[in-house]
Amino acid sequence: MGIVNLYSATHASTYLSGLYKTQLLWYCLSCFVAVVVSLIQPKNFFRYSYFFYLFIVVLLILVLVLGHEGMGARRWLLLGPVRIQPSEIAKIATILVLGRWFAKVNPDREMGLKELIIPAIIAGVPTILIVLEPDLGTGLLILLIFLVMSFYRKLKWKTIGILALIGIISGGVMYKFGLKEYQRRRISTFLNPGKDARGSGYNAIQSKIAIGSGQFLGKGFKQSTQASLNYLPENHTDFVFSIFNEEHGLLGSLFLIALYVILLFRYLILATTVPRIFDSIVMVGMMALVFWHTIINMSMVTGLMPIVGLPLPFMSYGGSSLLTFGICNGIATSISNSRNLF
Amino acid sequence: MFSEDDLVRQHKHRADIIGNIIIFSFVIILARLWYLQIYRGDQFRLFSLENSLRKEVIKAPRGMIYSRNNEMLINNIPRFDAIVIPQYLKNKKATLNKLAQILSIDMDDIKKILRKNRGQARYRPIIIKKNISLKEVAVIETENNKMPGVEVQTFISREYRDKEIGAHLLGYISEISQSQLPRYRKRDNFSYKLGDWIGQSGIEEKFDLYLRGEDGFEFVEVDARGRRRRFVKSNALFQGIENKVSTPGNNIRLTVDRDLQIEAFKALEGKTGSVVGVDVKTGEVLTMVSNPAFDPTQFSKGLTAEYWNELRNNELNPLRDRVIQEHYSPGSTFKTFTAIAALEEKIVTADEEMMCRGTFRLGRRIFHDWKKSGHGMTNVYKSLKRSVDVYYYNIATKLDIDDLAKYAKMFGFGSKTGITLSRETKGLIPTREWKRRARGEEWQLGETLSCVIGQSYILATPLQLALSYAAIANNGTLYKPMLVKEIFSNTGEIVKDFKPQKVGEIEVSEASLKAVKKGLYQVVNEKGGTAWWYRGRGIQMAGKTGTSQVRSMTSKELFAKCTDMPYKDRHHGIFVAYAPYDDPKIAVAAVIEHGCSGSSSAAPVVRDVITKYMKKYHPNTYQKIYEKEKKAYLAELRKQQRLKKQKEREEAQASESTQSSGDQESE
Repeated sequence: MGIVNLYSATHASTYLSGLYKTQLLWYCLSCFVAVVVSLIQPKNFFRYSYFFYLFIVVLLILVLVLGHEGMGARRWLLLGPVRIQPSEIAKIATILVLGRWFAKVNPDREMGLKELIIPAIIAGVPTILIVLEPDLGTGLLILLIFLVMSFYRKLKWKTIGILALIGIISGGVMYKFGLKEYQRRRISTFLNPGKDARGSGYNAIQSKIAIGSGQFLGKGFKQSTQASLNYLPENHTDFVFSIFNEEHGLLGSLFLIALYVILLFRYLILATTVPRIFDSIVMVGMMALVFWHTIINMSMVTGLMPIVGLPLPFMSYGGSSLLTFGICNGIATSISNSRNLF
Repeated sequence: MFSEDDLVRQHKHRADIIGNIIIFSFVIILARLWYLQIYRGDQFRLFSLENSLRKEVIKAPRGMIYSRNNEMLINNIPRFDAIVIPQYLKNKKATLNKLAQILSIDMDDIKKILRKNRGQARYRPIIIKKNISLKEVAVIETENNKMPGVEVQTFISREYRDKEIGAHLLGYISEISQSQLPRYRKRDNFSYKLGDWIGQSGIEEKFDLYLRGEDGFEFVEVDARGRRRRFVKSNALFQGIENKVSTPGNNIRLTVDRDLQIEAFKALEGKTGSVVGVDVKTGEVLTMVSNPAFDPTQFSKGLTAEYWNELRNNELNPLRDRVIQEHYSPGSTFKTFTAIAALEEKIVTADEEMMCRGTFRLGRRIFHDWKKSGHGMTNVYKSLKRSVDVYYYNIATKLDIDDLAKYAKMFGFGSKTGITLSRETKGLIPTREWKRRARGEEWQLGETLSCVIGQSYILATPLQLALSYAAIANNGTLYKPMLVKEIFSNTGEIVKDFKPQKVGEIEVSEASLKAVKKGLYQVVNEKGGTAWWYRGRGIQMAGKTGTSQVRSMTSKELFAKCTDMPYKDRHHGIFVAYAPYDDPKIAVAAVIEHGCSGSSSAAPVVRDVITKYMKKYHPNTYQKIYEKEKKAYLAELRKQQRLKKQKEREEAQASESTQSSGDQESE
């Protein structure tokens, strides 16, 4: 897992002209954290998961009460010079607790709607707190992870059908009433990029131009001519994938995607080969976390999905997200190591 | 543990499904990438190399400011800057060399500017030379082909038509600074951006949100050299992208008259001070000028270091608006209010006379009158006309300072007038309570003696003086000063309309006001009045002179000739008046710093402003008064001639008689 980390480190730093130093620092830190986490026995994850979860919930409430405001949302807690974003760590905490719950209850039956109530609450509390921040993207992400995990834990097909129905209906209601103006605009922008007064459709078009102009081989390292992309406020975070494509082309993307697929499958294979059910479920959760981040980010920059602010794992600039995936890898390594002990 | 191991195996099926989903998802992404990069790749590649889409902000034209008679005071005039866009710069050295030649500046200077801006994004234009000549513009435009990356940028600069005249009132605009950004965003609840120009003082500042309009934007296709493509929206990709037109700012019509401003500024020439005139019946500010001043155009053009240093190093502080930001001891102009307080408190009656021998003794201290020999018997009219200090010293022994403060505050002293300009000072009217709080001491009777003649702690702004005299003139209504008549949109629609606002009614008997007015009339219009020599023609002013001591002085210094004193120690000269006496229309206050006396320095300024006003707005009244005065003058002249002749005759007779007597003697 460390190798994957290192690989990403060498690559992502290429696009971050002024920021790469900071980013490198974050990489070192997250590698360090990953190593530390990997030294923890998996049974400790199991033991302290509730405690960790409660701690995170308290942090999330604190953010709502006295968080630092940035770009119209309260997402950060200021701890001296460090800004932390509890919603990032909340994803991991939720995965651990869900893992513990799914491991304990009804170990060998298929689950129905009834068994889903308590895990839904477990996932729901942080989700609601995060959506209140407001950070709809991360909130929905937790729900998606929850879905993958319960699916893995043998959710009945019938129940899945019911949930899908509820999802569609509530989604419609949400769009009508629950979304903020800018979120709704993003969706309508996606549906019709030209018709946007604020120019966020412009981002989508520029992103597409960047990707498309990469063609098969790309323009080469540091040769991104799509300089107008500089107009994007998030070209080093959410839109790294477009620049990557512009510089390295389809070939580069194939390579990158292959790496992601290898990583995801390693997680998945690990999940099916570990001896303990808790470890297995947690691994699926981790896999889901990385998977959703990757797929949502890629679809968004290629114009398959509306623009939501989710970073690309290991690639995008941002300390919190790197740290999160560092911890992911740490936990994976720890679980993987514990398997070898048998 | 084995059973748990089995349990994990049981989930293999689900894990496979998840694996398939993963593969499937990435296949979709890859398919999309294939579509974008291979299927449409040529198109995008061509596009990214040859063209790009640039979002250009279209600055909204800032609203205009007009005088009360619709004369334009501020105009927006395009200015041209030579800029360089590093992204498009090719053959850097040759290009820059050429540019240096065209602009006739040093190559190293250009390099220095570029180096300074190295940190910012490469597509951002860097200004090499501001305000280039039309000839330079033409050369750059024609040589454009040979110099990729060099362009001319049009910039709207704000020209203040009358330059320094009324600069403080209009204010100036400049680019918002990094430190102002968060503060102003909060203050105005408006999302200013870096690079925005905002009003920094005066009307420009206070009405910024009305004036600024709304910026628009436009998407333009530019080629690889950063030049605009002729055929806009030639590419199918950009279909449907919409531009936003900018909304011009609203215009402002002031209450101020341009001719009066010019006249007032001319009258202040060579003097340090200010003059303000208000409409007696509405509180509209008709003129408001402070000298020395600055040229706001220099700010909007982009301030040069020399000009800024010149302003900053000028110890007279040209940026200061002396009408509202400076307060002075009102001196004898304050006696008017002491007189009203004394009459109202029944300390004296209007006709009661007091003796003035030139000094007044309080305990061991001796208070001097400005006239060493004294004025003799004095009633309230004479006390104003001749500005008799001793008369007021007598009143001071019976008038409580808190009572005086009550009347002064009624006339608006000691609090802000509420004019819509920033950084107004409120002056000071002392009370016992104030002294205890501010100084921790009890009030002394001797201080009352200084206060009744407007010295010591009492401080007032020129604007307060003008408004208070306007209140006397209109029989007791204090108005809030009004600067803006209306705000109207570019299409002429009225956005906001301003009406005169009363601050309060002055509860003083008509008899007292009448008595004081009579005294003020005599100051100007009777021989022996302190402003008699500056009465002018056809304006029938009523007013009061004042001299504000800059520091306390010994009696010897007090009677030394003012013009012999060092400049810093000279008295401020003040004159406040309204006109015409019979039907007051305008009240004007002028303060000339270190002008020595109110009559000689400030009165001519007020006279000139009022004369201009009367001639422009009430020519008939002016003519009538003028004729009347002429008649009276001629009558006086005739009378004097008659007297002279009579005298001559008498003298002749006398000499005749002496002669005759001599003759007789000789006989």
